[in-house]
Amino acid sequence: MSDLNKKAPSILLEGVSKWYGEVIGINDISLAIEGGVTGILGSNGAGKSTLFKLLMGRLKPSQGTIRLFGIDPWKSTAPYRRIGYVSESERMYDWMTSLDFISTLARLHGMSREEAIKRSKHVLDFVGLEDVHHKKIGKYSKGMRQRVKIAHALVHDPDLIILDEPLHGCDPIARTSIMNVVRELGSQGKTVLISSHILEEIERITEQIVILHNGKLLAIGNLHAIRDLLDQHPHRILIKCENPRDLAKLFITSGPIYGVRFPDVGQLEIQTNNLSAAHDIIPSTLVESGQKITSIENPDDNLDSLIGYLLGGINDG
Amino acid sequence: MPDDIDIRSSQTRMEVAYGSGDGDENMVAIVAKKEASLGTIFDQSYKPWDGELGPRWMRNYSIYRHHVYGLFTSKGHRYYHPFVRLTILVIFLASLTPIPMLFLSSLLPGQDGDILSKMWGINRFNLWGQILGYFPRNLCMWPLLTALVVGGMISDDRRNGTSAIYFSRPINRFDYTAMKFLSVSVILGFVILFSYFAYYTSAIVFRGEGWAYLIDTLPLFIGGMISGIILIITYTSIGLALSSISQSRFFAAIGFLSVIYGTKIIALLIDLQFDTSIMYILSPYDCLAHLGQFLLGLELNYSHPLAFSIVSLISFNIISMGILISRISSMEVTRE
Amino acid sequence: MMDEKGLSLRETVWSQLDRKAGAIIELTIRQLRNRISTWVVLGVGFLLMILLLAFYVDSVREGFESIDNDGDSVDMDGDGYPLGQEIKYGHSDWDSNQFPGSSEFIQVSAIGYNDQVRAISGNYTWSGAGTLNPIWIDSNYVGQQWSGIINWFDVDNTSCPLGTVYEDWWPQYFGYGCHYENNEYFVYGKFTASGEIVVPDGSEMLWGYNTELFYVEPDPKSMYINEDDIDWNGILLQKSQGFDDDGDCLRYNWILDSEDGSFYYDNDGEPFDNDKNDNGIICDVLWLLDDDLDEIESIEPDSNVDEDPDDERYMGESSHRTFIIGVGKMAFVIMIGLFLPLFLALGLVRDETENGTLHYLLSKPIHRGEFILYRLLGYLAVTGSYVFMLSLFVGILTAILGPGEGIIRLSDIPVWLGIGFATFLVLAAYGALFNTLGLISPKYGVYISIVFGVWEFVMGILTIANPNWTLSAISINHWALQIIDSVVLLAWPDTLQLQQMASAFNLDTGLDIFWKPPAHTLGTANPTVAILVSIFVLSTFTILMLGIGQSVFKNREIM
Repeated sequence: MSDLNKKAPSILLEGVSKWYGEVIGINDISLAIEGGVTGILGSNGAGKSTLFKLLMGRLKPSQGTIRLFGIDPWKSTAPYRRIGYVSESERMYDWMTSLDFISTLARLHGMSREEAIKRSKHVLDFVGLEDVHHKKIGKYSKGMRQRVKIAHALVHDPDLIILDEPLHGCDPIARTSIMNVVRELGSQGKTVLISSHILEEIERITEQIVILHNGKLLAIGNLHAIRDLLDQHPHRILIKCENPRDLAKLFITSGPIYGVRFPDVGQLEIQTNNLSAAHDIIPSTLVESGQKITSIENPDDNLDSLIGYLLGGINDG
Repeated sequence: MPDDIDIRSSQTRMEVAYGSGDGDENMVAIVAKKEASLGTIFDQSYKPWDGELGPRWMRNYSIYRHHVYGLFTSKGHRYYHPFVRLTILVIFLASLTPIPMLFLSSLLPGQDGDILSKMWGINRFNLWGQILGYFPRNLCMWPLLTALVVGGMISDDRRNGTSAIYFSRPINRFDYTAMKFLSVSVILGFVILFSYFAYYTSAIVFRGEGWAYLIDTLPLFIGGMISGIILIITYTSIGLALSSISQSRFFAAIGFLSVIYGTKIIALLIDLQFDTSIMYILSPYDCLAHLGQFLLGLELNYSHPLAFSIVSLISFNIISMGILISRISSMEVTRE
Repeated sequence: MMDEKGLSLRETVWSQLDRKAGAIIELTIRQLRNRISTWVVLGVGFLLMILLLAFYVDSVREGFESIDNDGDSVDMDGDGYPLGQEIKYGHSDWDSNQFPGSSEFIQVSAIGYNDQVRAISGNYTWSGAGTLNPIWIDSNYVGQQWSGIINWFDVDNTSCPLGTVYEDWWPQYFGYGCHYENNEYFVYGKFTASGEIVVPDGSEMLWGYNTELFYVEPDPKSMYINEDDIDWNGILLQKSQGFDDDGDCLRYNWILDSEDGSFYYDNDGEPFDNDKNDNGIICDVLWLLDDDLDEIESIEPDSNVDEDPDDERYMGESSHRTFIIGVGKMAFVIMIGLFLPLFLALGLVRDETENGTLHYLLSKPIHRGEFILYRLLGYLAVTGSYVFMLSLFVGILTAILGPGEGIIRLSDIPVWLGIGFATFLVLAAYGALFNTLGLISPKYGVYISIVFGVWEFVMGILTIANPNWTLSAISINHWALQIIDSVVLLAWPDTLQLQQMASAFNLDTGLDIFWKPPAHTLGTANPTVAILVSIFVLSTFTILMLGIGQSVFKNREIM
């Protein structure tokens, strides 16, 4: 392991592009990630999986350089000693028990059989599957399978963990348990990369995000910081109340609100240029009005709107 | 747009998905918009299709056509790999090789022509050989042809779940099996029997033979044809049975080759070593060859009685059909 | 001392490599073990072996039936005397009236075609054409040959046509007779009579008498089986060997049909060539030695010498060897060697790619080339141990049952090991080839493999028929079959001699069908060289395929 540069950042991409024939998968991405949980956001086809496959040496970049711990993953498998990867692939060896599956893969890290079994039991315990480790994977539910996949990526105690859509297709309970696992990993000081096309999911795990769109890097950094950058852009807040028109009068006088709309009965939509300022005044204004508020929604607080804003257009939904 | 369909509220997605041309082709599927998150319930009104169902043979014919036309054009028909199509073409052309020789024999004057026509002309041996000759036809050509054609016939449906396309329609499993069987045998028949027929006709045309010759040789021709038909049926049923066993098309293809070659080589080994031809009843090819020798009036070169071969052939077919039927009747209408 | 990963520092790179290999090999084995098709394929192979063994056991139980190699134990004409006995007495086996002790015509004199005096009288047995004025006729005369005997009952009913014989009419066949009005007869055939005979011009008449009939005890047919054993004293320096025990070499008017080995009688035939090997000694066998005088190069017998040896002694051993060679070549190398890889090796890496399970394996610190190698090793562990156990199973059973003095034929064991080894090399070569084809072209690879399998099958059969044919060397199993040929020669050095004896004395052992001397000895005629060449070819091919496969796979982008 001496060949791994301890100083080098976990992930370093410089001007990386990848195209499949005419189709561009990843377009000129430069990125460095070190430590903590990072969410990779992007709608389907944004290039998340391509990015991960480039990182895992499955694909060769058409341009640019990729370094994992300072080593090119296309040429060398050495970085994988410190990486755990959860692919988006659903297929597993259904005829194996989860303990067999994970310990077999653990042995590929050069562990002895006993050590592999010991560590496998440990990670299965960590993801909460210790009771069922003698059952065949084929009998597992979707969420359990996802957790087995995560466990296999953790068995060698990696420094960098890459998870490709780990929450995809899971029921809410499995989702929560996987999120807890990921958060726990982040709190242990590991570098975690997790991709999703659902903003909410990522928001519950981390604030550090990378947004991809059509293969291009759209934003990077703290989710709230990015939001704040967007605050200058028009933003909508939907309030459901008894008497929207009365509420509208109160809002129209306050500074950050520049417009109101009544999309439906009992609904008020306010428009603002400065979201944080608006957030400051909304609670007090609502209390002031004394109305019964059913809900407050932020229709723009999903990935599509965010991307829409970042792209400079107005998402008129 | 018909008035009774309100595209905004009573969304008839079922119709869009399953409608089949009684006026609803103009409709547009309504996809849930953002508002859906606020709670919109679609009215799932099922509009029954009251068109006339085509007759059974027509439905079956379309299955048949789907498989056979696919050989020539993959547009809208079953996809045959270009390599498979190329191999079938090569086998077809190779099975036609006696024809140019016959043509040559008709051009050459005197003795040379006679020698050629003796070698390639019509006689019991050549008619037998055109269908049942071991090398190259039954060693390289027919088994390979069958293996390639039959390989994915049913296993692909099992693997991809495309059997659901058939069974969710008014097509029963018998029709499905029968049409698959027919398609394979027609493709095999096209190569094997067509080349046989072409060979026979061209021999008569090129040599300018008359009616008397035709009447003399017709019984032989028909004998060969019958043995060819039995060969096609036997190979098809064995191949389809193997194809229905597994999800992998290569299992069926390799399995078929190993059945044909394996039984032959073991029987040959036992024949050479222990001087008994009885094990040839295990080899489908040899049973066919034995029967073909009888049908064409050749000297039988197997020492066991012909009845053994016939019984064995019948059992091959019954066992294969049994496997095929039981596998298809237990086939799940989902992706397995 | 432990580092932060909890891995002990004394663990070397090698022990880690070892563990990775172990893990993937084990995974592959378990994967194959978990597939039903694997068990079906292996089970079918085992059943085939049982079937072959059943036939073998059956043939051993019956013993090796003695075969009448020269065909002289038959009694074709049904007179109760086998051909061999008839040969001794100079008779044909076509005529039931001619048998040992039957009366024999002894010629006294004759009127030829051009003799001046054309009349003769007396009491004789006659043969020819003439006008008979009889005193006495033996109407019961049957003669010693079936043709030309005059049936006097017919003659009495047949009036001769008008006119002069041989001018106005001609007798229709030999054995024809007719009567004239004046109680004379025209006869053309054989008969016994007393009287005066006038022979027409241009005709011939022989006369003589028949010996008395006497009884000869018919020999049992078994006397003419194994009656002309191979006489060879093993002294290699003495080239001329052999002795015609049954005396059929010395008969001058018996012709051996070289095609089917049967005899036919030819009265006027050329004298029988009883010095076929042209060494100036009639009815002997020429044993030609090589330059070192320790091996027989060829055996050239005169016809009908040593041609009917004791089958138990010669056939038992050769048949046993033929069985082993035949099973080794056809069942092991061609069948198992070809179909196991087709079923099991084709998807070693390709299936993982298709299923998407490759991601788990490739996200581990393992080189892709290593991965292919270990997968192949796993497949070889399954198929190799199967082949090894199968060959040992068949080998030990046949070694116990086979002919020989000891309880177990120890000399069989190296041959079976050689067969197992050759099959193993074939399994490796095909495995690497099919796997690589699947990698080079995931779409076309399998089709190419199937076509290639057909090619290999055909070439394998051709190699057994003639290993010297160059085209058949462009195949994998050609080289494995060479290994078997060579191992056989090493383990049983006298195989060549057995084979030469079989072909020299027309023994139908089948050894020459299944076994030929190794072809690729680089001119040394040394089987070890052929083995080394074959191993080199096969392993080079395997390594080459692995190299191609890994270089393709290394640069393959996996979606």
